[in-house]
Amino acid sequence: MSSHLDTSALARIRSLELRAKVIVEGLWKGMHRSPYHGFSVEFSEYRAYVQGDDPRYIDWKVLARSDRTYIKKFEDETNLRCQLVVDHSRSMSFNSGSMTKADYAATLAATMALFLMQQGDAVGVTTFGPTLQEHIPARNRPGHLRRLMLELEKPAPTGATSLDLSVSQLADLVRKRGLICLVSDLLAPVEKLERQLGLLGAMGHDVVLFHVMDRAEIDFSFDKAAHFRDAETGTERFIDPASAREVYLNRLNVHRDFIRRACERQGIEYHWTPTDTPIEHVLFDFLSARLKKKGGVARR
Amino acid sequence: MTWLFPLYLLGGAAIIGPILMHLRRKPPQDRVEFSSLMFLDAQTPMPVSKRRLENWLLLLLRCLALLLLVLMFARPLWRSENEDTVSQNQATVLLLDSSASMQRSDLWKQAVAAATQRLEKIAITDRLAVATMDCETKLLWSFDQDKTSASTRIATLKPQLAALKPGWSSTDLGQALVDAAGWFGSAQGLSGLRKRLVVITDFQEGARLDALRGMVWPENIAVEVVRVDAPNADNFTLSLVASAEESDAGNLARKAEAPTTRVRLSNTRDSNASDFKLAWDEGTESPITGYLPPGASRVVSLPGTTGILNLTGDAWDFDNLIYIAPSQPKVVKIVFIGDEKTRSEAASPLFYLSRALQQTPSLRPELTVVPESVANIPAGTELVFISGARLSAPLMQSVRASAEKGGLVIAVVTPEMKAQDLEALTGVSGVLINPSDPTDQSDQYQMLAEVQTAHPLLRPFADERLRDFTKLRFWKHRQLTLPKQAPLEVLARFDQGDPAILARSLGKGRIVLLTSGWHPADSQLALSTKFVPLLYGWLEAAGFRNEQAVSLLVGDVLPLEAATSIMTPDGQMLTPKAGDTIRAETPGIYTLAKDRLIAVNIAPEEGRITPMHLAKLRELGVRVEEGDVKAAASAKAEDKERLAITEQEAQQRAWIWLLGSLLAILAWETWLAGRIRQGTLQPAYSSP
Repeated sequence: MSSHLDTSALARIRSLELRAKVIVEGLWKGMHRSPYHGFSVEFSEYRAYVQGDDPRYIDWKVLARSDRTYIKKFEDETNLRCQLVVDHSRSMSFNSGSMTKADYAATLAATMALFLMQQGDAVGVTTFGPTLQEHIPARNRPGHLRRLMLELEKPAPTGATSLDLSVSQLADLVRKRGLICLVSDLLAPVEKLERQLGLLGAMGHDVVLFHVMDRAEIDFSFDKAAHFRDAETGTERFIDPASAREVYLNRLNVHRDFIRRACERQGIEYHWTPTDTPIEHVLFDFLSARLKKKGGVARR
Repeated sequence: MTWLFPLYLLGGAAIIGPILMHLRRKPPQDRVEFSSLMFLDAQTPMPVSKRRLENWLLLLLRCLALLLLVLMFARPLWRSENEDTVSQNQATVLLLDSSASMQRSDLWKQAVAAATQRLEKIAITDRLAVATMDCETKLLWSFDQDKTSASTRIATLKPQLAALKPGWSSTDLGQALVDAAGWFGSAQGLSGLRKRLVVITDFQEGARLDALRGMVWPENIAVEVVRVDAPNADNFTLSLVASAEESDAGNLARKAEAPTTRVRLSNTRDSNASDFKLAWDEGTESPITGYLPPGASRVVSLPGTTGILNLTGDAWDFDNLIYIAPSQPKVVKIVFIGDEKTRSEAASPLFYLSRALQQTPSLRPELTVVPESVANIPAGTELVFISGARLSAPLMQSVRASAEKGGLVIAVVTPEMKAQDLEALTGVSGVLINPSDPTDQSDQYQMLAEVQTAHPLLRPFADERLRDFTKLRFWKHRQLTLPKQAPLEVLARFDQGDPAILARSLGKGRIVLLTSGWHPADSQLALSTKFVPLLYGWLEAAGFRNEQAVSLLVGDVLPLEAATSIMTPDGQMLTPKAGDTIRAETPGIYTLAKDRLIAVNIAPEEGRITPMHLAKLRELGVRVEEGDVKAAASAKAEDKERLAITEQEAQQRAWIWLLGSLLAILAWETWLAGRIRQGTLQPAYSSP
C-alpha cells in the first residue's frame, strides 16, 4: 500500500458509507498482488495479464490459441456470514484525537461491511452496551448495506459495557456458523470473556476481536492533576497523572495481555487497533491474516 | 550608563509576582471525563503551595519581559562624555571659606559640619586635598600627603578643622579656584580620576573672582558650591575715604579748624535695616544717626580723626569697627647753608625754600640754616641745600660725608665755585666751569629740555600732563664742561644743550647739581608750579615717602622697613627677621618700632554679604554643579542637565531596542505558554 488516509482526514468525511467507500477503494487501488483472487466456481471475466499477476491464473488455452496472455477470473460462490458486533457503551465516546473510539469502531465496521458485501458475503450488525441493543442478522441483498450503515451511524452510546451478557445473548441469536467480528474497547471485567468467546468458537464461529483504544488511554498522557470521572459509572476520583501513570500502564498491560492470551488459547484472532491507526492498515492486516488461514473468508 | 527616569527601576520588584504565581499551585478544580477508572486508584489532593518552581523557562521569560518593560520606562542612556572612560574614583579638593563674613551667625559651624561630612564620604581610594581660602589659599592637606597617608586623613583633618576659626580677610574666591585647579594639574597620579572641587562658602557678592578672567577653566574639573546660608543679609559696610584736607591740600585754615574723618557707608541690596548710628568708641562727640536705604551708599563726615569708629544698626557686627591711626608725620632734618637773615628776603633762595617745605600728613621738614663758617653740619642731617654759599673745606667734607651716609645734597653751581670745589663735593675731577655766563652773552633765556622724567629724582613729572616746562625760564646758568665718562648723570639739559640738572650717587646717598638756582635772579623755578613737586620728588628719592596716614587692609603686608618689632592689636610682639613678610591678620592698630601706628581694617567688599548667583561663576567658564544649595537655586541647573540627558536619550533611543526585545520575548512567552497549555490539555469528553 502506497498511501492511506489517516484518521483525522477520514473524520472529516461525515457520511459513514462514503467513508467506508473511500477506504475500500483505496484498498483495492493499492493492491498490486491481489490476495483474494484464488479459484472460483463461476467465470467472471478475462483480463489482460499485467506484470505482477500470479502466473498461476494465466489461461494457457487462450495463450495457445491467440498467443496472448489473459488472466481468467472467477467469482466465488459465497457462503460466508459475517456478524459485526460493535460496542456502543459510554466508554467508547472518549477521544483525545479527531475520532472517538465509537466513530472509529463504526467506520471500521462499515468498511468491513462494504468490503464483504462487495465480495457478495452476507453481513449483519449487532450493537451492545450493558446488554444487546440492536441486532441486524447477516444478509446479502440490495438495500441491506444501507440499513447496516444507518444502524452504525446511530450516535447514542449509553451505559456500561457488559461483555459477558452481550456475548451470551449473541450466541443465542447467531446460530449459523460464520465470522463474528467484535469491535470493542473491552473496558470491563474480562474474567468470563474467555469462556463466552470459547463458547462462540465451539459453535463453529470464526471470532475476530478488534481491541479499540484511544492513544490517551494507552499512554495515559495527562499532565495536570484533576478529578477524573468514570464515563460509564459516573464515579469521580482525584488523580495525579504523574504518580498514577505507572500503576495505570501496568494494569492496562496486564489487562491486554490477559485478553490476548485468552484469544490465543481460544484460537481467536486478536487485532490491537489504537484509534490513530489508519483503517486500511487494520483491514489489510485482517485480510492478510484471513488469507493465511486456509479455508478462511477468501476461498477463491 | 545612566537613566532618564531612574525611579521606574523600582518597578523591577514586580518580578516577584510571576515568581509567586509560579510557586503557587491552584487547587485542582478540573474535572476530566475518562473512559474507565478501572485501572486507577483514588489519591489525596495535593497542597496548594509548592516549593519547586515549575516551567522555569516560562517564568524566566515573564520576569525578563517585566524587567525589559521597567528598563524601557526608565529610559537608559550612555553618557558620551569623558567621565565614562575615567574611573569612578575621584580627586577632590575641599575649599573652606575662612573669610571674615564666615564669622556671622553659625556659618562657620555649618561650614565645618559640611566639610566633615564630605570628608567622611570620600572613599579611601579617592584622593583629597583640603584648603582654606580667604584673601590667600592655605593648604591644610595636599594630594601628596594624601597619597602617602590616606588612611589617617580623617583622623588628622578632623581635629584640624575643629581647631580652625574664620579670619578677618576678604574672600578671593577666584584665586582660590585657580590655585586648586593648579593642584589638580601639578599633583601626580591624578590622571584618570574624576576631578571635583567642593567649595564650602557663604558665596557672598563681595567675593573676588577677577583671577578667573585670566584662565580658561579646565573642562574636566567640576566645581560644586556648597553654600552655607545666614538668616539674613542686613549689613552696613564701612570704609574710609580720602579726607577733605588731603584732596584740598592748600586749605590749611580749614584743616586747623575742623579736622574730620570721612567714611563711606553702604547698605546691602536686600537689607531690612536702614537706620544707622555712627560713633567714636571713645569720644564725647554725639553719635551720628541717619537713614540709608537698601542698596544705597553714602559718604559721612564726622569730627575727629583718630580712634575707633563704631557702626550700629545692622544685623552683623563683624565689619562694624573701623580703626583710624593718628597721622604721624616723619621729621626730616634739612640744612640750608647760608645766611639766616635772608629767610625773609624775596630774592634769596632760602626765602622760597622755607616756604616750599611745609608739613604734610606724613612728613614734617625741619629746616635749619647753617652759616658757612661752621666746620660741620648738624648730626642727623638728611638733606642739605647749598645755594650761593662758599663752603670751607671741612664743611665740604662734612657735607659729602652726610651724602655718603645716605643723605641728599642739592648744590647750585655758582660763578664763584671752582673746579676744585666741585671735585671736593662730587668726587668727580675734570669738570670745568665756564666763568662767563653764556646766557648773558646771548641775551636770551633758556628753557629745560631733555628732561629724564623716568629718573627717580624727577618722578613727579612722570605724568605726561605735568611735563610742560615751557613756562619755566632760566635767566642765568653756569656752563659745565664734563670730562668724558664722568660719573655724573645729566637729568635735564637746557635747550641749547648745556647740562641743567646733574646727579651722582655717592655712597648710600646722592648729590644733585643745579647749574641754575631757583631764586628769581637765576630763574623762574621757585615761582613755578614745578618747584614744590620737584622738592618732594627729591625727598621721596631720598627715602622720605610722602605717603598718607597709614591704613592697611587685613591680609596686606605690614611695612617693615626699619621696624625691628611689631605689636599686634592683641598685644603680641613679633620680631621679624630680615626678608620676612608679615601680613596683618586681624583688624586693629599695629605698632611698628615702638611709635609708628598702622591701622588695619577689614576689606570693605567683605561686608557685601548678599548671596551671589552661581551664574557668575558659569559666566567665567567654571563648570559648576549644585551642592546643598537651596532647591530654588539648583532647579535651573538641574533642568539644564536634565535637558542635556533628555537630548542624549532621544538620540540614542535605547528604549526602541528594549521595546523590540520585549515584544519578541512576549511572543516567545505566548507561544511557549500556549504550547505548555496544549501539552497539558486534558482530552475533552465529547458530549453525546
